[in-house]
Amino acid sequence: MSNANIASQAYVPFRPGLFRFEEGTGELLGGRCRSCGAWYFPSRPVCAKCLSQEIEILPLSKQGTVYTYTVIYQSTPEFQVPYILAYVDLPEGVRVLAQLTQCPLEGVRIGMPVEVVFEEVGRDQEGRTVVGYRFRPAPP
Amino acid sequence: MEDVYVIGVGMTKFGKHPDRMAVDLGAEAVLEAIRDADIDPRRIEAAYCGHVYGGMVTGQKVLAQVGLAGIPLANVENACSSGATAIREGYLAIRAREYDVVLAFGLEHLTTRFRGALTPGEDDLEAAVGLTMPGIYAMRARRHMEEFGTTREELALISVKNKRNASLNPYAQFQKPVTLEEVLNSRLIADPLRLYDCSPVSDGAAAVILASGWAVAKLSARRAVRIAAAALRTGTVEVGPVSMTFEELTHRTAQDAYERAGIGPEDVDFAEVHDCFSIAEVLRVEGLGLYPVGEYPKRVARGEAEINGRLPINPSGGLLGKGHPLGATGVAQVVELARQLRGEAGDRQIQRAKVGLAHCRGGKASGIEGAACTVIIMTR
Repeated sequence: MSNANIASQAYVPFRPGLFRFEEGTGELLGGRCRSCGAWYFPSRPVCAKCLSQEIEILPLSKQGTVYTYTVIYQSTPEFQVPYILAYVDLPEGVRVLAQLTQCPLEGVRIGMPVEVVFEEVGRDQEGRTVVGYRFRPAPP
Repeated sequence: MEDVYVIGVGMTKFGKHPDRMAVDLGAEAVLEAIRDADIDPRRIEAAYCGHVYGGMVTGQKVLAQVGLAGIPLANVENACSSGATAIREGYLAIRAREYDVVLAFGLEHLTTRFRGALTPGEDDLEAAVGLTMPGIYAMRARRHMEEFGTTREELALISVKNKRNASLNPYAQFQKPVTLEEVLNSRLIADPLRLYDCSPVSDGAAAVILASGWAVAKLSARRAVRIAAAALRTGTVEVGPVSMTFEELTHRTAQDAYERAGIGPEDVDFAEVHDCFSIAEVLRVEGLGLYPVGEYPKRVARGEAEINGRLPINPSGGLLGKGHPLGATGVAQVVELARQLRGEAGDRQIQRAKVGLAHCRGGKASGIEGAACTVIIMTR
């Protein structure tokens, strides 16, 4: 195995197939129905609207707006509270749930523009960095 | 098709039962329902058991305790709609003339299974990024406040109402009313929802005996109340950004139930709805068409949903006041409907109640609004 391969394996996505990530940049991956144009995140094998199984995987917009949000004060042990959760609407017509980062707890508003970022969300059992997606406030 | 009646009901007190196991609670509820029906238990031909975290063959263990081992039984899991789904299975079997007398029950010992916030389940994507059940309802509350001008105090008044109703119900977990200030000063769980906006972690069981019209006549079960409809639907995949303040799933399930019962929401005299959170009662009642969309919190503040109000909601105390042992919850709603319709609800009796509705919703998974929804309509 080459050194380059080992380096790229130092990062693992927290779930497979949801995004493409390289250090410093990345994009969420959605599914678009080739038949009716409906978008999904995550992608799914069958279009819920027209039942077509022709779904293509495409990158989603990096920017969206906050549809609604909460600050979680009580959660399961793997999460450190408090943290902000938001449903973010992307221009493709997809709603993504994610944590907000780089944002004060009282700094969120419905309709606020946000952009996706990829961050370390933990370490796996082999000590590798686990990467996940979050959103942060963006200029309008 | 055969008409179906509830001829016996029973439940344990809901609450924390550290010294008792789920099976013991189930047995207590079933025995009470058999006593209440005043029938020979050997008349029961089949059973359905709803539970979520009970583990393998929980229903069979209860049957063995109460002397009913041997009859057909199916364990049913539909998250918080498990118990209501069990009732519907029994209802359908009688409708199809397979059986004349069926036992449906639900149970849960949640205090030994869970502490703190429930989540949609470990393998769910949204749970993996940090979603909790209070979190999803907090976000829906935020939208309701934004879209309809609902206030924090109005939501708190729902908890105040339901805990006051619970204080009139000897089977309820909360036996003391709370004040508006106590709700508003309880600790934050998921902003804007606070501890007293959330249903508690509860243990408990509930049971009903269902019977065909033929069996009701033969047994001369004079206190029988009829099930006019039992509808079940699952949540559809959300294509595109949909409203989080109008419950399409609740609405769709209710339409089916109203149609089957041959009534409309205007004919309903009172309802038990799935108020797992204060905001949840708003979403249910508006989705069911019992109150106009966006207006329910203001109507609660005016007293319309009180036991002596225009259209009482959750006279039993609901999940907020009575408690929420998942698998037992939907069965306990039907227990309350039966007691109200028979005029046996004691201090919380609704006057002239002829049509009652029970609504349950269970589960959440990424991409679907809700997993399972049931609406049961009962008439005197």
